This record gives sequence, structure tokens and C-alpha cells, in this order.
Amino acid sequence: MEPKYVIGIDLGTTNSALAYAEIPAEQDPLALPKVELLAIPQLVNAGEVRDEGLLPSFLYLPGTADFPPGSTTLPWDGRAEAVVGRLAQKRGVENAGRLVASAKSWLCHGGVDRTSALLPWKAPEGVARLSPVEASRRYLEHLRNAWDAKMPETPFQAQHVLVTVPASFDAVARELTLSAAEQAGYQNITLLEEPQAAFYAWIERHPNWRERVAVGDLILVVDIGGGTTDFTLIAVTQQAGELTLDRVAVGEHILLGGDNIDLALARLLADRLAEKGTRIDSLQLQALWSNCRLAKEKLLDPASKKDSEPVTILGKGTGLVGGTIRASLERADLERLLNDGFFPGTASSEMPARQRRVGLQEMGLPYAADAAITRHLARFLRQQASSAEHGAIRRGPSGLACPTHVLFNGGVLNAGLVRERILTVLNGWLAEEGMPPVAPLSGEDLMHAVSRGAAYYGLARRGKGVRIRGGVPRTYYVGIESAMPSVPGFAAPLKALTVVPFGMEEGTDARIPNREFGLVIGEPAEFRFFCSAVRKNDQPGDLIEDYGDDLQELAPMEVNLAAEQNASGVVPVSFESVVTETGMLQLWCVARDGRRWKLEFNVRERVEA
Amino acid sequence: MRILLAIRCFFAILFHGALSDALLSALGIARRPDAAPVSAPAAPAPAARPTSDGALQVLAILQRDSRLIDFIMEDISGYADDQIGAAVRSLHDQAKESLTRYIKLQPVIDSVEGTFTRSGPIDPAAVKFIGNVPANTPTGGVLRHKGWKAAKVDLPALSARQDVTVLAPAEIEIE
Repeated sequence: MEPKYVIGIDLGTTNSALAYAEIPAEQDPLALPKVELLAIPQLVNAGEVRDEGLLPSFLYLPGTADFPPGSTTLPWDGRAEAVVGRLAQKRGVENAGRLVASAKSWLCHGGVDRTSALLPWKAPEGVARLSPVEASRRYLEHLRNAWDAKMPETPFQAQHVLVTVPASFDAVARELTLSAAEQAGYQNITLLEEPQAAFYAWIERHPNWRERVAVGDLILVVDIGGGTTDFTLIAVTQQAGELTLDRVAVGEHILLGGDNIDLALARLLADRLAEKGTRIDSLQLQALWSNCRLAKEKLLDPASKKDSEPVTILGKGTGLVGGTIRASLERADLERLLNDGFFPGTASSEMPARQRRVGLQEMGLPYAADAAITRHLARFLRQQASSAEHGAIRRGPSGLACPTHVLFNGGVLNAGLVRERILTVLNGWLAEEGMPPVAPLSGEDLMHAVSRGAAYYGLARRGKGVRIRGGVPRTYYVGIESAMPSVPGFAAPLKALTVVPFGMEEGTDARIPNREFGLVIGEPAEFRFFCSAVRKNDQPGDLIEDYGDDLQELAPMEVNLAAEQNASGVVPVSFESVVTETGMLQLWCVARDGRRWKLEFNVRERVEA
Repeated sequence: MRILLAIRCFFAILFHGALSDALLSALGIARRPDAAPVSAPAAPAPAARPTSDGALQVLAILQRDSRLIDFIMEDISGYADDQIGAAVRSLHDQAKESLTRYIKLQPVIDSVEGTFTRSGPIDPAAVKFIGNVPANTPTGGVLRHKGWKAAKVDLPALSARQDVTVLAPAEIEIE
């Protein structure tokens, strides 16, 4: 069955969305693609299913006393052993021990085994747990079922599906996302990076985009969602007389977003209340947190002229008025928190504080140690060396990458104040480099831009629109121990062999020359695996020493050479890297006689981050 | 005679598909009244819920989303106005959101209050005349209150087992 639609799925940290576009029957280059959003039926209260524009990425594992029997069934699922969406989010506030949240952040957390049942992280003894992959599967499955319920004529599995991932997701996290999608019954999946999707959404809304950018321009995509912040650079280049777009850099995964801002506001107000002698407990802090978000949004509304917004926590018992706690969020406080705390006007040379390395660190998500998003941005722009294939990145005298345009995405950037602040800081840096200020590209509907853009890209892949050339957003290495006499107490120094160059394009492969490894038949061989978003000029086969902090270790890769006819011995193999059409990275061991074995990620073992 | 009757019956059914009244009376049988529908074995229809259930459901929704019952049942005589105001502001936002979600409200007469308005057909339930009302029902006057009507009610279906008399569950916190 030929797909009738392309479906774009934004699997977000806090909210997911689904957009779709009909594939035109005939090639009409002038026809503009029409992207629509799917309303997602979900439980919003016990016993009440309603369509909502977003599916909150929360999962609640109900016990027997949580909901009345039969009140959590969905039109397509009579058993409903887990609740996904708005109701899960609501109920989770009252009982956090059964709530799975931020599964996506766990998916890219290398410090834990991401396929083991870890979530809810703080579940009490006796509550079933799910792996981050399994939780993601449930969200994707809900979206598939929602589609099939709404569009029964065109089954989900027959359509072309695009799932977005943060640009900062490494190869392991991408692989896990893909396997979650496969387990959810997805077929014909392509992964797409979120900032690219946001840019496609902009292109979709501005068919005359070619008139707004020129060759040599550098577009910075700033994506600040509920829980994560992501930066990407897209260069405008020219090929055969046509404007083309190259994704030339992606940032690291930063666990910092709008939720942090709201929580900081709630803490601020909680401290104020404590000074006056009113203590609030953790449930009340949750209420304060969500009320602070509402008050923040009201104050940041361009039409608002108020200097403060009241924030109330209603009394807990049946006494409503008597127990009400009142506070007010002052505009001055909000602006100070945003301008000094999250978006300080720092120098472009000021780098974020390093992650704390405490011997006995509490396990859990590796939240960013420095809340200053502008400092993370400074580091991102500082890190950008230009790479050969992707042309020179426009840079100032000090080496700072200097964008010409900025595209904003993510809920936090709905606020004009925040956008202005980032522009002010960024333009300050550019002025120091002697560069003109950036031009903001107007984004719209920032909550749905990623899913819309993904649907548009699905059409673009079918030759019905412009494509951003990206390739692999990192350089990947395999670790090789140096042949040196071993010294007790010191690990042999590790060299890194480049196996996948930055920007390696989809649908291509690379043979790693001049290096063979002896693999023992019938025994698993394991390789340490590294990546770097910074080193962009290493070519396949390059051996890197003294890489300092440039490389990050990923889950190891392993291969098991099945013994054929009880053969034994050592097979000399060389590496071959492949980037599939769908953007997945594969490493193969190739023997001289052409036999091939695929390396798989081993995420089961604990990786020392 | 019986043969004749049998033949007449045979041809009546053959050509008309039915027996005439005369034949029926000759046969001594009566036609079943048309109006009576074939009484299908009464499907065990969901036990009709009492009409009060919908009202209780609306109360439960307003309590759940805005804590309206807590507010109404509370003795607020001892509190200062600004204390009450603070609580009501948040209650009002949420009650409005939830009421408008489940019940689509419309004015009975969509016009500007304080201006002359035609009253339309006489319906004491929909239009109430106040002031110096003449003996003959007037056709218009100054609109003082637009009235409200529920244009659409969209309440979630109640499951058969659900006990609607519990408007809000008791809450027990484990510390």
C-alpha cells in the first residue's frame, strides 16, 4: 500500500505532537504542501477521553486504588494498564512515585542502562518499573493508536513516519529511539533532528524563504523546550546555482529548560513565604510551580502592563479561603531571574561552570550545573571549528562563530522578553567581533513547529521541497589501547581511531583503511566507542592522541563472530562505517574474504560517564 | 363453501399480498394494529440513570476543577475581603474554564443590555417582562439581562458502576 500521508512526530521531553501532510498525487512544484495537526484523544480525567493538541509525555502506572475500575480505558485499549498524557501528568503531581517523566532525557543518559526498568526513578518498592525505551514506546504507541482511531481509512503503518530527536542525541540514543518506534509497531521510520525540523517549519510558513537568506549566511537555531536546550547552526550555501542548506554544527545535550525557570520562580516565592513564616510542603510547591508558570506567562504576554501577578495556593482541606496562601510574582523579580539567572549578559569568552564531579553523586539525570543558557550558547559558538566538506563557518577574529540569522523554537521562546534578551546578548558578542547584528526569523506556533516541520521534511524527502544537508552530527571514534608496557595503577593510554567523519551523509559508507583487528571466533569482542561534536576535521582512519576533553565516551560496541562449522581462530577484520538512508549509524567488521558482522551497542553494561 | 373461501384467500394473497377485511371477518381473525411495533425482546437498556446524576456530575466537575463546593460550604464570614478575593480569583478562572468546556453557554437574546430589543415569540421560560408591563404582552422593551441558555451539553459518559453521589473523594496523604 502506497503511503498517502507523511506523518511528523515530535517526541518531546514534556509534550509530544503529531502533524501530517498529504502526499500530492502528482508532481506540482508550485503546489504548497499543506501540513495539518492531529488532535490526540487521551484521558484528561478519570473516565473522560478528550482530544488535545499535545500529548503530555507522562506515563502513570496506576495501582488498584488510583482510579475507579474501568475509568482508564481508551477507545482502542480496554485494559489500559498504564495511563499516558494529561491524566498521567495530573495524577503524577499527587503521587510522584508512580509517574514516569522526562523519559527522553533518560534515553540519552549514558550513566545508566537505558534498556533496564528504571522508571519511575523514585518508585517505592513493589511498583512496576519501565525502561526509558519502554516508556518512549508507550508514547509512540499512543500516537499510532490515536491516528488509527482518527484516520481509519489510512492505517498508520502504511504511512511514511518521521520521528524527531534532539540534534544533540548521540548514536546510542538515536538507536534506542528507533527501537522504541519499532517496538511501537512503526514501519517506514526516518529520524530527523528537531532544530532542522523547526527550520523546515519556518520554510513551510515562508515559501519565499530564498529571498530572505543569501549564500554565506549562517542560521542559528535556538531551541529551548520544557526540559532541554539545543543549539544548531545551518549554513546557506550554493550548489549548481541553487541555494542549499547545510547543517554544520550541533551542540551538546543540555538538560535545562522552561521547567527550570518555573521552578526557580516557585522557589523564590516559597522563600519569600518562609520569611513571613508560611512554610509550604512538597505538594504545595508543585501547585506553586504550576501557578508560577501561569503567572509568568501572563506577565510575559506582550499586552500585559501589570507589575505583578497574584499567585495563590488554595487551602488543602475543605477550608478553601482559610487555608489559601497568597503571594505575588513581581515583574521585577521575573526580569531579574531571566536577565541575571538564565540569560545573563556575559562575555562571549565566559564558559559555563563545569559539571560537579562528586565522588558519591546521587544517581539521576545529569542536569546542567550552570543555569545560564547564554553561557552554554557562548561555548557552543566558541567550539565551532569549520570542517572541510561543509565549508567555512562564518567566524569573527576571535574564532567565535557569527550567525547572521536566529530562529527560535520551543515554548520558552514564546516570550518576547526572552527572545529580546538572547538577541541583545548575541548582538553584543557580534559587535565585539565587528559583525552586524543578527536578524531574527519569525517562528510561529512554537509548540507544534517541530512536528509540522517533520511532516514538511517528509515531503521534501520525496522531492517536493528543499532539504537541509546534514549528515552525521558528530565524529565517532573507536578506542585503541596503545602498545606500551603496562604500568601498575595506570591504564594504558587510549588512542582514538576515527571511524565516522563529521557530516558523513545518509546513504554512504566509508572503509577505514590501514588498520586491521584480530577477532577471536566464537567470543564477543568489545570496542570502546567515543564521539565528539567539536573535532570536525578528523578523517576516517585518523588516529588521535591527546584529545583532552574533546571526546565523550558512549556505550561500548560489541560484535560476536558466530563460529561456522566449529571453525576457530582469529579473523583479521577492518572497520566499515555506514550511514543508512534513515540516518542510522552502523559499524561493520569486514573480513578480507568479504564476510561482514555488524557491531551493536551494548547498553546493558554500566558505562562510566 | 370452504373451498370457495380458500380459493378467495389464495387469490387475495397472490394478487394483493394481504387478506381483505371481509375475508378476515369470514375467517374469524383480527388484523394486528399497524402502529404496534414488533416488540423486540427489550434489550437490557442501560438502567436509566436518575436525572439528578447529570446535576451531580456537573457539581463534581466544578469541585474537581475549581473546588466550588469547598468554597460555597465554607463559612467565610470571618475572613477579610482580600483573603476571599485571593481565593476566588483562582477559583473563578478554573470554574469558568471547566464550565465552558462542558456546557456551551449562550445568551437567550444576543443583544446589548440597556438597549431596546424585540422579545420574539411569547415564551415565559425564555423571556421575562419586568417593570410596568401592560395587559397585552409587549413585543419588546429595554433589555436588562441577556439570559443564559445551554446551547450544548458535552458531559463525559458515566460508567454504569460509577457512584455519582461522591462529589469529591476524601484525600489521605502518606507522609
